Amino acid sequence: MLTLQSIILTQFRNYVTKQFSFTEKIVGIYGSNGTGKTNLLDAIYYLSFTKSYFARTDAQNVHHGLSGLRIEGHYEIMNEEADLICILRENNKKEFNINGEAYKKFSEHIGNYPCVMIAPDDVALISGNSEERRKFIDTILSQIDTKYLRTLIDYTKLLQQRNSFLKQATEQGFCDDTLLNILSEQLSEKGDFIFNERKKFIQHFIPLTIQYYQTISGNQDHITVHYESQLQQSEMKQLLAQSKHKDLQVQRTNVGIHKDDLLFQLNNAVFKNEASQGQRKSLLFALKMAEWRTLKKNKGFAPILLLDDVFEKLDEKRMFNLLHWVCKEDDAQVFITDTHQKRLADTLQTIGVKHQLIHLEDK
Amino acid sequence: MQLPSTLLENAVAQFSKLPGIGKKTALRLVLHLLKQDVNEVKFFGETISKMRSEIKFCNRCHNISDGDICSTCSNSMRNQNLICVVENIRDVIAIENTQQFNGTYHVLGGIISPLDGIGPDQLNIETLIQRIQKEETQEIIFALNPNIQGDTTIYYIQKKIAPFHCKVTTIARGIAFGGELEYADEMTLARSLTNRLPVQQYVQ
Ligand SMILES: Nc1ncnc2c1ncn2[C@@H]1O[C@H](COP(=O)(O)OP(=O)(O)OP(=O)(O)O)[C@@H](O)[C@H]1O
Ligand SMILES: [Mg+2]
Ligand SMILES: [Zn+2]
Repeated sequence: MLTLQSIILTQFRNYVTKQFSFTEKIVGIYGSNGTGKTNLLDAIYYLSFTKSYFARTDAQNVHHGLSGLRIEGHYEIMNEEADLICILRENNKKEFNINGEAYKKFSEHIGNYPCVMIAPDDVALISGNSEERRKFIDTILSQIDTKYLRTLIDYTKLLQQRNSFLKQATEQGFCDDTLLNILSEQLSEKGDFIFNERKKFIQHFIPLTIQYYQTISGNQDHITVHYESQLQQSEMKQLLAQSKHKDLQVQRTNVGIHKDDLLFQLNNAVFKNEASQGQRKSLLFALKMAEWRTLKKNKGFAPILLLDDVFEKLDEKRMFNLLHWVCKEDDAQVFITDTHQKRLADTLQTIGVKHQLIHLEDK
Repeated sequence: MQLPSTLLENAVAQFSKLPGIGKKTALRLVLHLLKQDVNEVKFFGETISKMRSEIKFCNRCHNISDGDICSTCSNSMRNQNLICVVENIRDVIAIENTQQFNGTYHVLGGIISPLDGIGPDQLNIETLIQRIQKEETQEIIFALNPNIQGDTTIYYIQKKIAPFHCKVTTIARGIAFGGELEYADEMTLARSLTNRLPVQQYVQ
């Protein structure tokens, strides 16, 4: 069991100082546009991932005109209390503490307090470029397997090293083959590991996604998902050897797991070209719920679910299917935002779950 | 900071160039020196400038030295057929403090990292290869930080010295992943030097 009991925000986005206490497992948050609903969910996400879901730099998270920020969360996890505190100091140094002890590496924290966010811009997962889908898979696997996360970090570093090497080799008109081979070997070792983990994971993940799609949409659309990777053909070492000439020419590594993608299809056509808005949203939710279910199975308890503006996205029937299912059939802590107090209250009433409503006031 | 004397200001400016020293600390140090005897401060200054101008680097191992060859390289009590390869001089000092190592060193001056513009040519790798060939070294121990760039450096050197019959080992990784050698406590470092391992042969 994982429950966030309270959170204290200091200088985070629109909040200067603010405390929230969460007394029920289902928490509805309502308020007009710009009152800080998304920011509150992002703060919760931040405590799980040591970074924002939205902002690329911490500078964007600090309340304008001030310096430094702090997010403190009080949790109950497997019947024990835990305090997570993230502090960004005035000099932009970030600390992350658990029960008063600082993490040496933030990556050690990832996966211990799992959560899943569903936010308005997430359709990019379906219609955007392949980077979005790799990030999605990596976020799940990193929370399940610390070795995966470490290997991914190493892969990224080695890729940068190899690309820098290719650039310098071209500029200097000389290629140190010994060094290039070593970097390629190191990269291959990490790449093969990541490929195998992704492949294993996706075998289970695809049926789950399709099942959720059908639950949410309530129909029998023919959906397929394929894992596309150059490593399906041969090992990375061979791919790199074949690509060496081209790599040197364009000064970049052209093959590897950093090119992987997921291909979605609807009735044998490319999903993003074929699907309606509603179908896209259904697939998005299916993917996210499959993520949530996979994490739950691995952790042995339900991850926190953050649903931002979901009412704007699904029709009433689909919304109801989804909420009913997460609120009633599973013991997850769920945070849901909406601009309409009545719509939110009525829905939770109809589902018939105990819940808490939090109102965010206009400035 | 407004100071009443240009001389004072210059001295403060010099001190604050040092790592970890801010303007305030610099002022405190300068005011302290101001209270000392003139000759004592003169000696202080001379010691430092002498250190910089007269210090040498060993022609053989690139460690700091008073002469062309350092005291470790010229010490016949030490095993001259054993080389411990380290990144920098701080590592030499850390290992010497364990008093567990009786061979010689080779200071690379960094590790291979194209991302930081450091290739094999920027490091003392060529001299190491020549040294191993010429001296017919029996064993080299890599005592580099256990991270990716450390591995790249080990594999690279290993490949280059493959033709010579030199045993290659690495210190046991009792040290935390990505941890700095310099910060490892002496016990751990000593143990890892005694329990050294053959380098994995997966790079051919
Ligand atoms: N660094 C910051 N400092 C101060 N205010 C900020 C900062 N970043 C964002 N804000 C403010 O936060 C507000 C947005 O908050 P948020 O996105 O949480 O609103 P919301 O309640 O989710 O609105 P909507 O209903 O439109 O989604 C904006 O009005 C913006 O001015
Ligand atoms: Mg919002
Ligand atoms: Zn020497």
